[in-house]
Amino acid sequence: MARLWPYLAILALALLLPLTGNEYWALIATRMAIYWVLISGLNLVVGFAGQLAIGYVALLAIGAYTASVLTAGTVMEPLPAFVALGLAALAGAAAGVVVGLPALRLRTFYFAMTTLGFATIVTQITLAWQDVTGGGIGIPGPSMPAPMDTAWGFYYLCLGLGAVCTWATANIGASRFGRALVAIRDSEVAAEASGIAKPRLLVMVFILAGALAAFAGGLFATLQTYITPDAFTFDLSLLFFIAILIGGRGSILGPLLGTILLTLLPEVAAPLAAWSTFLYAALLLVIVLAIPGGIAALLDRNSRKPLPEDRAIQPRPEALAPLLGERAERKLLSLRGIVLAFGGVRAIDGLDLDLRQGEVHGLIGPNGSGKTTTLNVISGYYRPQAGSMTLGDAPLPPGHPVGRAARGIARTFQTPRLIGEATVLENVMIGATIEGRAGFLEALLSLPRQRAEERAMAAQARLALEAVGLAGLAGVRADRLQHSELRFMEIARALVLRPEFLMLDEPAAGLSAEEIRRLGALIRAVSRQGVGVLLVEHHADLIFDICDQVTVLNLGKVLAAGMPAEIRTHKEVVSAYLGA
Amino acid sequence: MLASILASGLAVGAVYALIGITYNTMYLTSRVMSFTAGQLGMLGGVFGSLFVLRLGLPVLPGLLATLLACALVGVVTEVVAVRPVLKSLDQHLYVLSTLAVALLIQHATALEWSTEPQPFPRLLGLGAGIWDEKYWLPVAACIATIIGLEYLYRRTLVGRAFVAIAEDNFAARALGLPERNLRIASYALAGAVGALAGFAGGQLLLAFFANGPLLNFYGFIPVALGGLGNNRGAVIGGFLLGLFQQAANFMVGGIFSSVAVFTLFIIVLLIRPQGMFGAPAARRV
Amino acid sequence: MPITRRGLGLAGLASSLPMGLATPALAQNEPIKIGWLAAMTGPSSAPAIGFNRGVVWAAEALNSAGGVKGRKVEIITRDTQGDPTKAVNATQEMISQLKVHAIWGPTNSGESLAVTAIMARGKMPNIHPCVVDSLIDPQKYPNAFRIAPSNTQWDDAVRGYTLNIAKAKKVAVIGDTTGYGVTAANASAAGFQKDGAEVVYKANIDATQPDMTPDMLRARNAGAQAIIIWSVSTGMIARMLNTRATMGWDVPFIGHPSLASGEIGTLIEKPANWDKVYAIGYKSCSYDASGKLPPRNEELLQRLQGKVNLQDTLLWWVACGIDAVNLVAKAVEASGSSRNEAIIANWNSLQRYPGYFGEYSFSASDHNGYPVSDVVMSAASSGKNGTFALAPGYG
Repeated sequence: MARLWPYLAILALALLLPLTGNEYWALIATRMAIYWVLISGLNLVVGFAGQLAIGYVALLAIGAYTASVLTAGTVMEPLPAFVALGLAALAGAAAGVVVGLPALRLRTFYFAMTTLGFATIVTQITLAWQDVTGGGIGIPGPSMPAPMDTAWGFYYLCLGLGAVCTWATANIGASRFGRALVAIRDSEVAAEASGIAKPRLLVMVFILAGALAAFAGGLFATLQTYITPDAFTFDLSLLFFIAILIGGRGSILGPLLGTILLTLLPEVAAPLAAWSTFLYAALLLVIVLAIPGGIAALLDRNSRKPLPEDRAIQPRPEALAPLLGERAERKLLSLRGIVLAFGGVRAIDGLDLDLRQGEVHGLIGPNGSGKTTTLNVISGYYRPQAGSMTLGDAPLPPGHPVGRAARGIARTFQTPRLIGEATVLENVMIGATIEGRAGFLEALLSLPRQRAEERAMAAQARLALEAVGLAGLAGVRADRLQHSELRFMEIARALVLRPEFLMLDEPAAGLSAEEIRRLGALIRAVSRQGVGVLLVEHHADLIFDICDQVTVLNLGKVLAAGMPAEIRTHKEVVSAYLGA
Repeated sequence: MLASILASGLAVGAVYALIGITYNTMYLTSRVMSFTAGQLGMLGGVFGSLFVLRLGLPVLPGLLATLLACALVGVVTEVVAVRPVLKSLDQHLYVLSTLAVALLIQHATALEWSTEPQPFPRLLGLGAGIWDEKYWLPVAACIATIIGLEYLYRRTLVGRAFVAIAEDNFAARALGLPERNLRIASYALAGAVGALAGFAGGQLLLAFFANGPLLNFYGFIPVALGGLGNNRGAVIGGFLLGLFQQAANFMVGGIFSSVAVFTLFIIVLLIRPQGMFGAPAARRV
Repeated sequence: MPITRRGLGLAGLASSLPMGLATPALAQNEPIKIGWLAAMTGPSSAPAIGFNRGVVWAAEALNSAGGVKGRKVEIITRDTQGDPTKAVNATQEMISQLKVHAIWGPTNSGESLAVTAIMARGKMPNIHPCVVDSLIDPQKYPNAFRIAPSNTQWDDAVRGYTLNIAKAKKVAVIGDTTGYGVTAANASAAGFQKDGAEVVYKANIDATQPDMTPDMLRARNAGAQAIIIWSVSTGMIARMLNTRATMGWDVPFIGHPSLASGEIGTLIEKPANWDKVYAIGYKSCSYDASGKLPPRNEELLQRLQGKVNLQDTLLWWVACGIDAVNLVAKAVEASGSSRNEAIIANWNSLQRYPGYFGEYSFSASDHNGYPVSDVVMSAASSGKNGTFALAPGYG
């Protein structure tokens, strides 16, 4: 409820506005609401998924023209306004995918450029296709049926739509889809390891954002009464984009306030019209340099409260049983004859390895011996040139890191891959994304199955946090954690997947001796639940304390393999690596 | 007809290539693609017109003053929009900060210079018809720049330091190279290259504030096609783009030529995201 | 103080500041508030800057003469930058918030198309100088009046001159790729074809294209005897003129008033490149062989001397701005009221009102007030104090 009051306050103000009886304010407020319909969708693309779509005015134009042409009756029988708006949204959904597709393959700056180019093209086409769009002369916008045909009637309509968009995009933002988008933005690698398929997710968001933008375009055409290509300026595109950044990434309230601010600003500062874009640009620069978190960061007092200094990580292995359950069958993950060369260097050279569920398998060796590379081959980030992998009875296909989570393979990273602007709990819930069954539409409308799933995921994530000893920090932003805490958080994120196999890449690096001891106990407890653990580590003590099997690599080859006791006394290992 | 398409195609292609080199020069030392590249080209024309035509400087001092002014803009860009966001390169804040600076430059020019295209002086008074200096000057400037940069990168200490930074930033810093000074120097150099593009192409493009976004886009295409950081790729890409664009202008007319250029650009990029001569993206894990 | 571009921008700025605080006074002493939607900045701001000098001068002249029936004239300016969205906001603000009595402008067609319906809804008396034909429709927009030629009138003048005086039967029609350029070129080409001329080449050129040779070559190869230009892009026009000179082709250029813009003079390679270029002009603002304007405007020039800078603008813009303010003042004076209906009714009965730019006549069924016969072609390079010489061939 406390998080709702700003929205309710804005809504209350908006509902009181007609008391002024001033149609100028009706116009400005309607404009805000229409822009917000577009920006709320774009917010998921820019603010959540971090895709820098600068040229979204193109989708506004597509929607405006589609709705206007369909109601004008120039090319076919005129359609009712709402049917035309619906079709405009469909056209926008399709166009949204076309604009968005390059994001799946191209780097940020490239994508920004392509959206700009797309905006130019749409303008050129509206100009050239005079028979349909009226060319430079333009066409009248759709007129609304009564009672939406008055300034205030139309205002209520747009206000209602704006409220619905706020609710719906907030639903997405709080769902596993919203968390996955932020994960793609902040740590694409972690998202992949959790089984989040970027293309599918982005396409869904581009469809939604495109549809909302085009729908807003239809409303925009009604508000303007008449549209010509020169109404769709780059400045307008910039306004949409900057409203989100001023508001703050990954927030709904911030961009909403940003939209209100940027629509209002030119009206208050009318004499400065000539400088308006200059001021937008200056504002953008200041935001980027001084408050990258935007309005949302300023409002978020929670993240400025100091954390307790003397907190300690206290794992509770008891929580593992309800989290992970029991595994009846013990599967085997085997690598046979794996070869991987970078250029001329053979990082892995004919490696055989067997990981058993219920066992901790240590992988040690000097720097550059191929430990992390092996881990990356198993988790699909590297595709070996030769060799085969099997998981249980089925072959494990090389490459394809996104598919690993579904096969029950979870991992952590040498440098923790955190989603800094999300809470610890949300970071851990990322790991459970793959278990979601409710669709995008269910999330959009927050239907019962979606809500039940969310509660289950949160409960599971809390259980995992309890198991690794971070339950007290669940609500804290992840980028405020200490390094050691991040390591445990990553383990929690991997555990929430209920993995068959868990691969840990130097989890003890940077931990204190006491923390290493607790980590060892935790790893043991995890393996006792039937999870196969692959432990890449430099801390020999930890390896020999907790491992059931140890493999020693040197120059990409197995130097020795066996029980810890055998390895500890293995002559070559001692001379080459253990050094004592 | 063919001759005039070739002449103007190569001329604008050379300007695009130079803007592409401007992008690359900034990218090499900072890993930042800056929206200001096109604005530097625009400023080359505006400063050239300001110094030579309005203030009456002779051509050579006018050129020097233009190069210096744009080098300064480059340095300011580095200080204001690049250095503060280098720490978090993976957040892509540089896209926003350089976009903001580019817009500031463009709108300040619109307000203080003019929103109408202003004349650019005739520099040498050489040539006529398709051999007019306005066609071959940009090509000559492009060739001179390429030769100059090759010399710089291969034969001079500073140039080799640039290359070292570009190849491995951390290693170069570990070797004690003054990374920050080299970055500032490269932004100044980029400013001068951009200025040269605008100055040499001034008679074609005029001193016009709206050239900024235009050059930004058309100068980016050679970079995307030729591969990030690859100057030779940018030059080949620039000339190809210029010829294609002028041919498209001629064959399908003004409205659809930009559509044709953009469509081709997208298709090439989707097929080869790293560009025609670029290497695939580095490993991520 | 001579009114210059920069000074005026500041004056407009200062005068628009206190408006939000204006309190309603008794109707008799309340100032006559004229909303002025001006694209004062941005890429197509030259006309609005010119109009504005006339507007400010006319308001000062009226006020220093005691106002209209004791009421001051107050100009409320909003800079729309030619952006329809800003124009829509400003229009609604003028109607609902500032409660102006009449609106003058906007000055660009795109904005005008967007705000015309809004003003009609608010029954706001409106005069504008935009050329798009559909903007004037006494049935749909009984409140909107035009005091400049329509596109059709411009088209007629250009076509008439091309066919009857320049005697060209094969023409090339060229526009830029803006909305206006595309539409105007299409309409013009259709008109030529209807009148039996042959449109041998038609193109829309991107105004930023650096080289015009291909298009010019194709126009020449197609056998064009005249090039018809529809563009406000001075850069593009100047490039075409330079190309024409390089090709050694002496084809006449006929068309849009921008052909005569002073900017072109600075962009062409040599002054001779601007010869044989004929731009749309107006009888009232054209001088004859003896260098004299019509007497009324000769006198206006005297009065503007030292007060309004005409060097970098056109007299017709200034004159049109003066007329717009005077038309509102006149209507209030004649009807004794600044109510909407009173002003509109007065304009509807206006017969041969002698303005500086033209002699306007409106009726309830015709809101195109500018006389067709006053649209003439002028020699583009003959600009002098914002006025032009008549093109050769006028008796």
